Amino acid sequence: MFKYVMRRLFQMIPVFLGVTLMLFVLRIPGLLPGDPIQLIVGERELTPALRAEIEEKNHLNEPLHIQYGYYVGGLLQGDLGESYQKSRPVTEILGDKFPNTFRLAFAAILVEIIVGVLAGIISAVKQYSFWDVLVTLSTSVLVSVPVFWLGMLLQMFFGIKLKEWTGGSVFLPISGMGNPPDFVHLILPAITLASVSTAYVARIMRSQMLEAMGQDYIRTAMAKGLTERAVVFKHALKNALIPVVTYIGIDLGALMGGAILTESVFSWPGVGREIYLAVLQRDWPVVMGGVVVVVVIVMFVNLLVDISYAALDPRIRYGGAAE
Amino acid sequence: MALLEVTNLKTHFTTRDGVVRAVDGVSFSVEEGHTLAIVGESGSGKSVTALSLMRLIPDPPGKIIDGSIILRGDDVLKMDASTVRAMRGDRIAMIFQDPMTSLNPVFRVGFQIGEALRIHKGLSRKDAAARAVEMLDLVGIPNPAERARDYPHQFSGGMRQRAMIAMALACDPDVLIADEPTTALDVTIQAQILELMIELQQRKGTAIIMITHDLGVVADMADDVMVMYAGKQVEYGSAHDVFYQPLHPYTWGLLDSLPRHDIDEKGTLLPIEGQPPSLIDVPSGCAFHPRCPYAQDRCVKESPELREITAGHQAACHFAGEDGFVRGEAVPVTGEVA
Repeated sequence: MFKYVMRRLFQMIPVFLGVTLMLFVLRIPGLLPGDPIQLIVGERELTPALRAEIEEKNHLNEPLHIQYGYYVGGLLQGDLGESYQKSRPVTEILGDKFPNTFRLAFAAILVEIIVGVLAGIISAVKQYSFWDVLVTLSTSVLVSVPVFWLGMLLQMFFGIKLKEWTGGSVFLPISGMGNPPDFVHLILPAITLASVSTAYVARIMRSQMLEAMGQDYIRTAMAKGLTERAVVFKHALKNALIPVVTYIGIDLGALMGGAILTESVFSWPGVGREIYLAVLQRDWPVVMGGVVVVVVIVMFVNLLVDISYAALDPRIRYGGAAE
Repeated sequence: MALLEVTNLKTHFTTRDGVVRAVDGVSFSVEEGHTLAIVGESGSGKSVTALSLMRLIPDPPGKIIDGSIILRGDDVLKMDASTVRAMRGDRIAMIFQDPMTSLNPVFRVGFQIGEALRIHKGLSRKDAAARAVEMLDLVGIPNPAERARDYPHQFSGGMRQRAMIAMALACDPDVLIADEPTTALDVTIQAQILELMIELQQRKGTAIIMITHDLGVVADMADDVMVMYAGKQVEYGSAHDVFYQPLHPYTWGLLDSLPRHDIDEKGTLLPIEGQPPSLIDVPSGCAFHPRCPYAQDRCVKESPELREITAGHQAACHFAGEDGFVRGEAVPVTGEVA
């Protein structure tokens, strides 16, 4: 197991270097519009002396590969550079935003687990029933609805129309996190963010459950005299859950990297929205730093998912140390 | 009264193409400590008969539409759902054909054996685990205490079937149904598993219903034999009678298609021509007539009743028991049957 984890950690290095290299290529002069020095200077008058000073400070006068060296060097010391726009360290900016992104990610994962898994189980156990048809139809719709459109639809209904109909007494907030952050601000963004994955979870759960219910070991369990409930929720579910847990785990990694669309629609002050704003403002260090951190998080969460596999499925043992 | 008495059991399946008469009026009985073998080709209704005894027929599409199954005076078909559950695994237990897929891959072997003990005997988790180790020891698994903590994939095929037997016998059932328990195993392992079953039967007095298409297994184990064809029994009697004085041409066919290395070394096998019939569209009269070399007009029109030919030996053939209608002597009817 230890060897396996070490190997996986080593495999992260080329991925990491590849991502940073690709982002750096975008800095080849003329490839993207906008002059970084102009951005840093802002309203001040740009004199040749000031330009030289800024170039010197940000290593912008060096060739690109030297700049890359400086960047990776800084990265290894936990320094992601400084924002052109805000004159603050990128680590600080992201550090402010990540807790908000995590909050939203965990809320969305909770929706996926509770709604998706339950809907999938009901759908499978009551195959071809009204509930099964409902789940199958609604998941088909959900996977094909664009997230931002669903978000706006929810905002319109629960935020605006509901407020009108009830004379302003019942509605859900449609932007921000609340001050101090509260639960009601989380509801709509979490549902929006979870929508597509919840639909997928329900579908995977349903098909896995149906497959498990047809296995020989289910007949064995029935022949033992177990109740149908024990057969379904113990013998079938534990087998059916393995792929579902994988999917949710991978999705958790993706969600923790920030949700650009959902965060933007709901003005949620998370990493996704920060990266989106930084792209608009051509604030390159923030974009770069944000993407790098997200990549690292996704890689680590995926590793954790793979490790937790072994706990669920005894047939999987990493590193060949099993029998 | 026998330990288990089955009378006129009918299990049908409703499919889009029509009603499948998988089991269509079968009667038999099993005594304590005895072994009944149910023999027939694939699709003859053997396994459905077994699953019917456990009330494990998936409904829909299946349904037991008639008959009675009396186990020590209780009619299994009249039991409510919870009584049936209490019976399964406790009074009637079953082992299945493929030990590779019959154990749940994500639970430890010991846990799976102990499960029945916990529901039926009310044992604690700990006591059930200890008893599971004893059972593994009983079925000849070395290091049972260690092995009980293994997962099924860590067992070989033969060991898994031993574990299945341990699981089935954990609660000391009256009847053990074994649905082709050796089909998926190597020949050497097959013999070991059969020996184990015989040994445990002698020790515990369990009645065994052995479902098989392997007549060698029947010869080793069975006291009585029931031959099934197209959902009906065509011959039923003691193993001795069925082997040495078989009455039904289908049984003759089964015996002829068995390799005999004791007599003619180079003798060719005589397969039964044709395929088993569709159970939706069973041939008129005797279901076996399209494949029977002795079929006459009567066989096409008239369905033969199962009748006692000699004491305790029944067959469903119009000509069974007639002079000269004996295996190896009867003359095949040539030409097209009208």
